[in-house]
Amino acid sequence: MADSVEETKRNLEEMVNVLKKYADNIEFVERVGLIVRVKKERLREVSRFVHDILDSYFRTMAAVDERPINNTFAAYYVFGKDEMGLNIIIETHTDPLDPEIPSISDLVPAADWYELEAWDLLGIKFTGRRLYRFILPDEWPEGLYPLRKDVDYNLRPVKPLARKASKQAPAGPRIPFGPYHPALHEPEYFELFVEGEKVVDVRYNGFHVHRGIEKLAESPRFTYQKVPFLAERICGICGFVHSVSYTMSVERAAKIDVPERAEYIRSIILEVERLHSHLLWIGVACHLLGYDAGFMHSWRIREKVMVLSELLTGSRKTYGINLVGGVRKDINKDKIQAIMNTLKYIKEEFSKLVEVIAHVPQIVKRATGTGILPRDDARKLSVVGPVARGSGLNRDVRKDYPYAAYPYVSFKVPVYSEGDNLARLFVRIDEVFESINILEQLLDKIPQGPIFAEKIEVPEGVIGIGNVEAPRGEAIHVTITGKGRPYRWRVRAPTYQNIPALKIMLKDAPLADAPLTIASIDPCFSCTDRLLVIDLKTGKAVKKTMEEIIKKKKVN
Amino acid sequence: MKDNHLKKSIWVFHLNTGSCNGCDIEILDALTPYFDVERFGIKLVASPRHADVVLLTGPITVKTLPMVINALKAVPRPRYVLAIGACAVGGGIWYDTYSVIGGVKEFKKILEEHGVEIDKIVYVPGCPARPEAIIYGVALLLGLVKEKVSKEVVIIGEGSHH
Repeated sequence: MADSVEETKRNLEEMVNVLKKYADNIEFVERVGLIVRVKKERLREVSRFVHDILDSYFRTMAAVDERPINNTFAAYYVFGKDEMGLNIIIETHTDPLDPEIPSISDLVPAADWYELEAWDLLGIKFTGRRLYRFILPDEWPEGLYPLRKDVDYNLRPVKPLARKASKQAPAGPRIPFGPYHPALHEPEYFELFVEGEKVVDVRYNGFHVHRGIEKLAESPRFTYQKVPFLAERICGICGFVHSVSYTMSVERAAKIDVPERAEYIRSIILEVERLHSHLLWIGVACHLLGYDAGFMHSWRIREKVMVLSELLTGSRKTYGINLVGGVRKDINKDKIQAIMNTLKYIKEEFSKLVEVIAHVPQIVKRATGTGILPRDDARKLSVVGPVARGSGLNRDVRKDYPYAAYPYVSFKVPVYSEGDNLARLFVRIDEVFESINILEQLLDKIPQGPIFAEKIEVPEGVIGIGNVEAPRGEAIHVTITGKGRPYRWRVRAPTYQNIPALKIMLKDAPLADAPLTIASIDPCFSCTDRLLVIDLKTGKAVKKTMEEIIKKKKVN
Repeated sequence: MKDNHLKKSIWVFHLNTGSCNGCDIEILDALTPYFDVERFGIKLVASPRHADVVLLTGPITVKTLPMVINALKAVPRPRYVLAIGACAVGGGIWYDTYSVIGGVKEFKKILEEHGVEIDKIVYVPGCPARPEAIIYGVALLLGLVKEKVSKEVVIIGEGSHH
């Protein structure tokens, strides 16, 4: 480790020397990363350097209305240098009256959605690309941006009435997939354009589950210690992931030291959550392939994990035990024994199930070679989680940006290079066994001590980043602190990063594979849609954009 | 209210109106081996036209509203709704945000405007609602168990309010 620390230091110095050329100001903030402040005119140069030359992934972007503080709109682009575990945050500011920032979506394809979202919700214009309504509904008034500070969180300018369902549709056969579809358990709308049985294009019309969470957290209804309860409700599957990401972002911003025992408990619950989520997904995948016996068996095993969650947290959904500074519920000897017993059961039963699944021809045949995501595309789109690991990218936040108690345990990160649905299935199967392994180590090593930090003081106006490897990939929260509550809280769930990859996976593939391929990224729309509603104006324009995105062309 | 219409196995349609997945997964959980409601003849169907009961989850976002109304219109009468989870019951933690319509009270008004009558709503609160509670809700709807709190059941169009 000592060598790598030295090396990291050296690399960091070199990096700072080069970045100095571009930046107004560079600051290294402990627990957060390298903050590079640039003029917006130089944003494209710096982004290209950080993304291409430094070879870092695009992680998230937070656009902020900072007019009450410094009379600007700000954008924080977070890049991650995985090998060094370093965040490179490019901060830029723009004019309050006519906010404009040069678009980087042609250089960094993964930034596409972030720019559209910032345009729709904050009214920041990204020059050099086409902008269109992305998240808010059609009937939302032009020029009203809900995330601006002068707009109330509970303003409802839209009279909630049913609008006309029919929209101008592009020519050619079109298969609607959703918003209510037997293969989707959430309202989400995909339009698949087909030639015969072949999918030629995909249109994603999402953000049905947007509930205005980020804005709500800034409202007087919330405080720092109440937001975890809101964060949990971003998602009913990986709720604890979001509450840990949030608390971690605040703790890192405020330099709060969380007791080690609390970190262990967080890791334990996170792994329990991963177990139930992967068992859920494997069941759903079996169901979609017409193998309902596998579905039922997987959920039978999963039910034991739910009972365990209830024992550990008091709720089947791991809700309500996490706060900024630690956790509210301790784990005693009886509970450790209960976890051990459950793990033993899961290991035995799941091994049997995997053996069966691997010998069911319809599973193996239908998953092999379908929904392929090549490694290069995965890299360009900075995809995360099992989708990245199924396409040969060795990315796991638990290893790359260590948090909670993961630095104290050893585990493998399964990586498969095929990039097909089978590879993603195998990644998840391997991860179930790894989770059991991690849990056994955590339970063995958990130290004694307090579970809550002694002093919690959060200074104003500092930035913090929290990241957690959710079952679906990296969840990352950016918090800018304010008075008594976050000034801005930007949530980025794993599915947000992975959906753009679906266009590549579905294109030119048979229609019959579409449900499995869509499911193979384990989409979680409730996480993705914290914001409002995508509604695309004319089918034609959208189709063009899709092609442009696929070809990675610059959109004008 | 006597339910002569639902004597035999009931078919349910799952309508997620912007839920976080918590309740939705508990609904699926009720269908899988541990709770196994299929042994009572309860079956999940893919179309609202085949449904006896709609399992409604989520706070009803502005975006899903038109589709929710369409889906409810497609359900044959008598139209029964099981409102599952805190969000479906009263809007949940997002009851007043800019992108949800704000709980059942508002929703009922909109349904009335569109002439969609709901014959009976049973509320299953919880965050998320437990599988046992969902099954209990169905039993309540079928009249197999007695209503313990009369205010829990709202009959639209007969003047009572929650």
